[in-house]
Order: sequence, then C-alpha cells, then structure tokens
Amino acid sequence: MLANAWVIPLLPLAAFVLLLAGGRRWKEGVAAWVGSIAVLAACVWSLGVLAVVPGGTGRKMEIPWLSLGDTVITMGMEVNRLNALMLLIVSLVSFLVHVYSRGYMRGDERFSVFYAYLALFTFSMLGLVISPNLLQFYIFWELVGVCSFLLIGYWYYKPEAKAAAKKAFILTRIGDVGLFIAVILAFWHTGTLEISGVIQAVQDGKVEAGIVTLIALLIFAGAVGKSGQFPLHTWLPDAMEGPTPVSALIHAATMVAAGVYLVARTFPLFEASPVAMDTVAYVGAFTALFAASIGLVQNDIKRVLAYSTVSQLGYMMLALGSAGYTAGVFHLMTHAFFKALLFLGAGAVIVALHHEQDIRRMGGLWNRHKGAGVLFLIGCLAISGIPPFSGFFSKEEVLLSAWQDGRWGVFAVGVLASFFTAFYMFRLFFLVFAGEYRGKGQPGPVSSGMMWPMGVLAALALLAGFAEFPGGWLSHWLTEETGIPAGHGSAPVWLPLLTVSIAAAGIALAWGMYVKQSVSPEQWRARAPWGYRVLLHKYYVDEGYAAVIALPYKGLSIFLRGFDRYVVEGLVRLATAAVQTAARVSTRLQNGQVQTYALISVIGLVLLMIGLAAGRLF
Amino acid sequence: MPVTSYLALGAILFSIGLYGVLTKRNAVIVLFSIELMLNAANLNLVAFSKFGLHPSQVGQVFSLFSITVAAAEAAIGIAILFALYRNRGTVEADRMNSLKG
Amino acid sequence: MEMLPSWITWAPLLGVLVLLWIPRERTAAIRWVGVLATLPSLVLSLLLYVSFDTGKDGVQFAHSLHWFYLPVLGEKWDFQYSMGVDGLSMPLVAITGVIVTLAALASLYIRQRQKGYFLLFLLLEVGMMGVFLARNLFLFFLFFEITLVAAFFLIGIWGYVNREKTAIQFLLYNGLGSACMLLAFMGLLILFRSLELSRLHEVMHHSGALAQLSQSGGDTLLWGIFIALVIAFGIKLPIFPFHTWMLRVHAEAPPAVVMIHSGVLLKMGAYGLIRFGVELFPVQTQAAAGVLAWLGLVNILYGAVLAFSQRDLKRVLAYSSVSHMGIILLGIASLNVYGLQGAVFQSVSHGFISALLFYFIAALYERTGTTQIDQLGGLAKQMPVLSGIFLAGGMALLGLPGMSGFVSEFLAFLGLFETRPWVAATGTLGLILAAVYTLRAVMQTTFGPLHAGRERVKDSRWTEAVPMLVLLFFIVLIGVYPDVIGKPMQLTLQTIISRMGG
Repeated sequence: MLANAWVIPLLPLAAFVLLLAGGRRWKEGVAAWVGSIAVLAACVWSLGVLAVVPGGTGRKMEIPWLSLGDTVITMGMEVNRLNALMLLIVSLVSFLVHVYSRGYMRGDERFSVFYAYLALFTFSMLGLVISPNLLQFYIFWELVGVCSFLLIGYWYYKPEAKAAAKKAFILTRIGDVGLFIAVILAFWHTGTLEISGVIQAVQDGKVEAGIVTLIALLIFAGAVGKSGQFPLHTWLPDAMEGPTPVSALIHAATMVAAGVYLVARTFPLFEASPVAMDTVAYVGAFTALFAASIGLVQNDIKRVLAYSTVSQLGYMMLALGSAGYTAGVFHLMTHAFFKALLFLGAGAVIVALHHEQDIRRMGGLWNRHKGAGVLFLIGCLAISGIPPFSGFFSKEEVLLSAWQDGRWGVFAVGVLASFFTAFYMFRLFFLVFAGEYRGKGQPGPVSSGMMWPMGVLAALALLAGFAEFPGGWLSHWLTEETGIPAGHGSAPVWLPLLTVSIAAAGIALAWGMYVKQSVSPEQWRARAPWGYRVLLHKYYVDEGYAAVIALPYKGLSIFLRGFDRYVVEGLVRLATAAVQTAARVSTRLQNGQVQTYALISVIGLVLLMIGLAAGRLF
Repeated sequence: MPVTSYLALGAILFSIGLYGVLTKRNAVIVLFSIELMLNAANLNLVAFSKFGLHPSQVGQVFSLFSITVAAAEAAIGIAILFALYRNRGTVEADRMNSLKG
Repeated sequence: MEMLPSWITWAPLLGVLVLLWIPRERTAAIRWVGVLATLPSLVLSLLLYVSFDTGKDGVQFAHSLHWFYLPVLGEKWDFQYSMGVDGLSMPLVAITGVIVTLAALASLYIRQRQKGYFLLFLLLEVGMMGVFLARNLFLFFLFFEITLVAAFFLIGIWGYVNREKTAIQFLLYNGLGSACMLLAFMGLLILFRSLELSRLHEVMHHSGALAQLSQSGGDTLLWGIFIALVIAFGIKLPIFPFHTWMLRVHAEAPPAVVMIHSGVLLKMGAYGLIRFGVELFPVQTQAAAGVLAWLGLVNILYGAVLAFSQRDLKRVLAYSSVSHMGIILLGIASLNVYGLQGAVFQSVSHGFISALLFYFIAALYERTGTTQIDQLGGLAKQMPVLSGIFLAGGMALLGLPGMSGFVSEFLAFLGLFETRPWVAATGTLGLILAAVYTLRAVMQTTFGPLHAGRERVKDSRWTEAVPMLVLLFFIVLIGVYPDVIGKPMQLTLQTIISRMGG
C-alpha cells in the first residue's frame, strides 16, 4: 500500500483521460460517477497510507526522467507523514466536492468537461503533494495553476471569468518564476534537486548563508503567488468567478494552501535563515490583517469568503514564520475543512437563491434552509475560533507560536485580525440567514446530494481540533524523527481566554449591527467615509497595478512596435533599397547596345593597363 | 627603329577600327571597322615576325591564318546582317537592343 | 542500413518522379501523392531513430563517396559526398520527418497549382533532410541553398497578398546569410584544404595544429570565419536586428509553409550555430559567449514585449518565435551540457509547437477568413475541439510543465545560471511575459462572448484534428518523458562540451 502510493495520483488522471475521451456523449450521471469513484479510491488509499506511514524521511521511489551529462533527474514519489496527511486532506475534500458538484453543476452544457478538469486538478495536486524533488514539485505546482486557470475560466463566455482566469495565471506565474529560480539555484549550490538532499546540504552548512536566504526568499515568492499573499493576492478574490465547488476545492482548501505546504516542506531552509523567517512572518501577519479588513465591507458572499481565505493563509504563514511548523500545518488542515464547508454552504445558498451572490439581497434563510444554516453556522464558529470547534485550537496554536517566538507585533496583529474575522463572518451569517428575505422571488430547494458532503465537512470542522488537543498528538506524529521541534509546550492560561473573548466581541458587534440593529453601520461609515471607500476598493491595489505596471508595459509594447516597424524594419528597407539601387544602376548598363558593352570593356581594359603600368612605376 | 613605325601604323589602324566599332550606327561599317582592327593585329604579327627578338616565319603564317578566319568571319557577319535586315528592316546597330536586361 | 541518411534525404524525389507523370488537372491524385510521398522519409527517419545507438559517441550511419577533385595550385582538393548522423542531428531529422508529413496534410488547404506546389514542397524536404545529414560543408551548402530556393517559390506563389515582396525580402536576406556562409566555407577550404567535417574536426580539435595555425597568423582568419558563420546562421535563427524578414514570412506565407518554416527552417540556424559554431570553434565560442547571451536576452524580451501588442495572430506567433529563439541562444551561450541540451530541446520542442499553432491558424483562416485578433472571440462556443487544441498549444508555448516547452526552458536556464546568473535571472522575466502574450492571444480568440458574424463557424474535421493531436502527442511525450530525445543526444553534446573545457 505504501510502496505503491504513486498510484494514488494516477487514479484521477485515468478518470481525466476517460472523461476527456467520453466527452459530451456521456450523461451527467456517468461523468459524475467516473470522477467521484476514482477520487474515492484515491481517498481510501490515502487513508491506508496515512495509517501505516513511518516517521522521518518516509518512503521513496524514483525513476530516471532525464539524463544530463553525469546527473540524472528523476521523477517519483516520497511519502512522509506531512505528505500523507496532505494526501488525505486533498483527496477527501476533492471527493466531497466531486459529489457536491453533481448537484451544483446540474444542467451545465459542459458537465463532463467540468469533471475532467476537476480530475486533472486532483491528479496534479496529489502529484504535487508526493513530489520528492523540487523539479517535480515545480511541474505539478504549475499544473495545479493551470487547472485553477481552466476552472476559473470555466464559463469562458463571461468576460469577467475570462479576465479573472488570465489574472490568476499571470499573477501566480510571477511567483512561480521565483520558485523556478530557487529550484535552479538549489541545484547549483547543493548539487541535487531532491528536497531531502537540499535540506541535508543546508543543515550540514555546505551552502553560504546568503544563498540560503536567497533560495528561501525565492521559494517564498512562489508561495506568495500561489497562496495569495500580499502583494500578489489580487487574483484570489477575482478567482471567485469560477463555479463555487471549484472555489471550495481549489481556492480555499487545497491549491492555495500549496504555498503554505511548500514552506512547510522546505521548512529547514527557512529555519536556517532568520531573514527569511522574518519575511514570512511579517508578510503573513500583514496579509492576515490587510485581507481581513477588506473582508469587513465586501458584499459578494463569495468575495467575503475569498478575503477570509487570503487572511487565513496569512495566518498560516505567520505561524510558519514564527517557527510554528505544526501550528501552520494544523491550521492548514482545519482551514481546509471549515473553509471548504463555508464555500459549499455558500454554494447551497447561491443555488437556492437562483445564482444571487449579493448578500444585501439575501436574508431570512434560517427558516427555509435550516440544515444549510446549521452547517454554515458550524463553519462560522470554527473560523471565528470558538471552542470546541477546530479553528479555536489551530488559531490558538498559531498565536501561541507568535507569542513564544517573541514577535509581539505579529501577535497583536494576529489578535486584531481574529477580531475582524469573527465580525465579518457573522456579518455574513446574519445578513444571509437572519432577518427578512430581501431578494426577489422565492428561494428554491437544495438537493440532498449537495447537503451530505457539507455534513461530512462540518463533522470534520467540529472534530479535527481534537487531533491536537489534548496532548499534542498531531504535532508529535508529524515531527517524529524529522528534527523539527514539535511544539511550544502548553499555552499560558490567559491566551485561550483572550482569543475567545476577542472572537465573542466580534460576533457581538456583528449581532448588534445586523440583528438587533442597535449599532448602525451607516454611522460608522459616515464617520470615516474615505476609510470605507478605501476598504471597498480593496486599498486600490488593482488600480495601482494597472497604473504602475500594466499601462507602462502596454505603452512600452506599443513604443517598441513603432521602433520595430520604423527603425529596425527601416534598416532592412535601407539594405534592400541599397541592393535594389545597385541593381537598377546595373540594369541601366545592360541596355542591349553591344557598342556600349564594348566601350565599357575598352575602358576597363585601359584602366587595367594604366593600373599595371602604374604598378610597374611604383 | 623600323618596327616602331609599323607598330604605330598598326596602333593607328586599330584605333580607327575601335572608334568605328564603338560609334558607327550602320552595322556594315561596324563590320568593316572590325576588319580594320583585325588587319592592325595582322600587321603587328608580320612586323614582329620580321623585326622581333626571334625573327621567324611563324608570325607570317599566323597572319595568313587570321586573314582566312577574318574572311570567314566577314562572310558570316554579313550573312547575319542580311538575316537581321530581313527580320527587322534595318542594319542600325543601336536598334538592336534585344539583349537589354 | 548504413545508407539510411542518403535514403532519407533522397526518398522524396520518388514522389517528385511520380508527380511529374500526373497531369495537373487531376488535383485529387496530386494531393494524395504529395502527402504519401512524404511518408518514406518519415518511416525511414523513425527507423533511424530506433536503430540509433545511444551508447555510441560520434557519427553513425556514416558513408562517403568520392565526388570530384578541384585542382588548385598543383594540389588536388578532394570533395566527398558524405552523409551521416550524430546525436545532434538525429532529433532534428526525426522532427523534420514528422512535421513535413503533417505540413503536407495541412497543404490540402492549397487550392491552386497543386502540382507545382507539391513538387517544390518535396524538394524542400530533400533540402532540409540534407542539411541535417550532410557531413561535408560543400554538400551542406548545396542543400541549404535548395531549401532557400524552394521556400522562395513556395512563399512567392502561394502566399497571401504581399507574397512577392515577402519572398524577395526572404531571398535577399537569406542570400546575404548564404553569402557569408560561403565566404566562411571558402576560408575554411583555403586554410584546411578540405571541407570534410571529420577532417576539420581533426584539425580544429588538435591543439598542435591550431598552435601552428595561430603562429602563421591564421587566428584572425579563424575569427573572421567564426563571425561570418554566426551572422549567416544568426540571420536564419533569427537574432534580434535581423528578424524582420521572418515576421513577413510568418504573416504572408501559406500556413503549411510556415509550419515548415517556423518548425524546421529556423532550426537550421540553431543547428548551424551548434554544429559550426560551438562544435567547430570551441575557443571562439567561449570568447563570444557573453555577446551571445546578451543577444539571447534581447531576443527573449524584445520578442515577448512586441508579441503583446500585435493585432494579427500570425504576428503574435512570429514574435513569440523571436522570443523562443532567444532561449536557444541562451542555451548555447551557457557553454555546458545542460544549456546545450536545452538549446537542442528548444529546437525540437518549438518545432512541434509552432507547427501545431500554425496548423490551427490554417484551420482558423479556412473558417473565418481572418487572423486579426479583434475580429475573433468566443470561438470556443462554435469550435470546442479546435479551441481546446489551441489552448493546449498556447500552454505549451508559454512553457507549461508536462509539455515540451518547459523542459527546454528549464534546461537552458539551468545551464545559464551556472555561468551567468544575472543574465539568466533577467531572462526569466521572459517566462512571465510569455504567459502574458500567449494568454492574450488565446483568450481573445476563443474566450469571451462570440464575435458577431461567427455563428456558423464549424468545428474540426477528422483530417484536421488527427494531425494536430499527433503534434500534441509529441509535445506531451517530450514533456512527460524527455529522455526520448534526451538520451540520443547525450554523448554527442558531452563530447562537444568536453572539447571546450580542454
């Protein structure tokens, strides 16, 4: 089971090929079954792997891929505990999303294409997770990116989807190039592409400190792009143009967490460089607060969740940067469950409201869709960090690691972001489920096929925290024989009290504003209209990029087009014109008059003779 | 030096011939001029065979050859001119420019 | 079996003979004979690939015949007809075989004067195969000129509106390059009294002989020859200021010819640079590597920026070719096995990719009558299969892993990072820009709302989809398992590099 774990990614790949070959001839049911069964098989297999995986470096398998002189680049798999955990998370969430999509995508023209893309994504993500070397990691890293691109642009005829897909691809590619350079630098400075080999070389001190920092920062650049960290975060909220199940799978639970996974996977590199650690921590903390503050005022249900994802990813980075390896991974896991749950819940709401996404036109759904409401509430409680939901435990560990690493500023930012999180999540919840229905028409039904995957996720969101509490079982299991410190011991008593009361304060404020209406949001808005506007426009980051990068680039391109047309091609024309003029002169000589020809040869002869005579003289 | 006067005569004849070839419009005259040039060359041959560094009969034999060849050439030249005249109705050299590129 | 290279080269002439007997009115027969006539070469070149011994260094399937003597100053200079294949030319021969057959299929779009078209087309194939397989510089030059003449007529007669002007520019420019090449070859002939490649290698890689040469002032001449060769092949590749002729050809030639032009003819430049630059002049190449790297960088960025603002799909692809040829230069300039391998990979990979994309262009033009980006849009609705193929081709173009483009880019940059990290780091900008222009081109064409008046566009027929899928298959094959072409070239490239070190 463990030795053949490389088969796991191939199962969805087979489904992808089948679905592509089957094409539109297959009925929706067939396509959904093919996809779901393949992923379910992968999921079961992953569970088996998780049960038997040993600690430390785990199990490896490689085949030669490309010979380069004396070096041979290989492809293969490596299963250690971190990988095994990711395998399970990815395949599980993917399976649930496959099931859910059967209901959500019903009646879509390209149903089987959708499932094919989902299968391709699952393949790439699983392949990414078990990559033993940096090159393979990069290959799958790009592949998940392209799947994300395909799925964001799934409704290709919508201009917004088209723009969002393009933006996602290009912005993540900017980060990817960083990773690309990091891979190459790692190869030249450590002589290997194996992740374990690179880590070993760094730990043995074979690499200069400056280079280690550079490599770590470049790797982090890749993670910034993929995980939507500031300043490359803008694609992630736009990516919500894709179908909601996709948002749940790719843009909440798995792919965007790949950046965090990457940092975790190469964690010893970061540990070896204080500068890199600081960067990770500060970028993470800043992103957490920055995105949470934007989330406060957004009105699109999926965008609120998207900004919340960006913010939570910032949390994970913050934890990793504060040496909280297990805290980061733990939060990654719990976040995968509760954020997928929230997105699927949002999807259910959207389906029930006939594809309405503006929360100002929702409300009062609690009575009509109590099941969805309860599940969504579980998600909200989990993300806000209310015990005993999983988010509480993981968030507390994140803050604890910041505290114990001595990063007070980061800690404070984390606490503030946690207040924002609780507020905007419950603002969302109350606006959607409490009060009166403000939309047009009647809310429709939600199929049970969409409900039970949410149930599973809700159970996980509720229980996943107990993997770590009490006793820190997860961190011990993860770090056994890896040389990474397991945890930070026990938390001071005031910390859980602080986090819970902060979260409760956020919830209370949201309740006061949107249920009891004792606090008026309009008043707050009126007090600082410019602040509201800045938040609503997401700090004008998009506009800034357009002005600073996109426009000048377009200008440069147009300028160079002129340059190419008039200067470079002008030179060419000059050359051709010179040749043509020469040709024209010689055609004039070829006038067909034998006598002229003779005259010319006589002149030539005379010149020759004069030349020869002159040569004699001197 | 007697050879100089022969050579001078030859050069004068050649130049007259060359002038004729290059300037005359009438193709018949061009042909005549070519004959002049040929004869200038013959004159040189004969002169050198008599007064050259190694006097011998070879030069005179050569000039006999070239006179024969010149006769043949003139015959063919005139024949071509006839053919041209029949085709184009003229023997003007500057009208014959079908070689033009 | 030993004569395989000759068979491959001359096999298309069989088709020429048959074609000469078919009256020009029987277009259907002409077309099918034209397509079938490319098959013998294809089969033989695949046979060559299979029977090529990857464990052996040096030239395989070599054979030579005495051709003629040139008496000069009391000596007799010997000219041989010699052919052979090594790890460098083998992948290029294989890809030529494949692309020519597929381009012949794409030539079914040609509507007039098919007989002349296919005659020239087959002659072009003779020339291309010969270029890669010749082991004598004189022979090489002859084949090189055959391709030039055949391509000239193919562009000039069957192209779009400005075809004649384009063909003339093509001929003039490449003629200039050929003149440089001829001068260089004459210089070599005078220096070494032979144009046999094996003989030249003996001298050029023999330090004693070289020392003797430099004592007698041959150094300057060698440099002159090297520079002339770089210019000759640089025009073909094309290197930055010499690229405009290539844009016109891309825009004006019939797509089937562009498939060959962009897929194979440009690669003759890369092949020449490696074969006659790096292999024959290791010392000079080493000294000029810096310049080559900068030229490559300029190519990459200049092409990428310009591809972004083009309105014609064909021109976008043309500038992307400029950009991609820069990667070949970077690979060559890196002076190690990785980079050189990257350069060869890029030649092969870009050959397949541009062939695929221009096949798509041919199909697109057939349906819509335009390749202007702003007159297209949302075509995925009407032609999902073709659009999917175009998207896949675009992904390959921008270097998506799992496809051939990535392997070559990775190797080229890997190589260059060892010797010139800053140039390489700047070059990686090209990877981002490639994504920018490719996505713009692909998405403006196939995504978004359907452009008005395109409601009756039909999706692909089998005869179109299959060749494209074959190309896609090769692209993915190389991307997923690059050793298929990586292994044969291993030893040859290692030898080339080892000479540079020693």
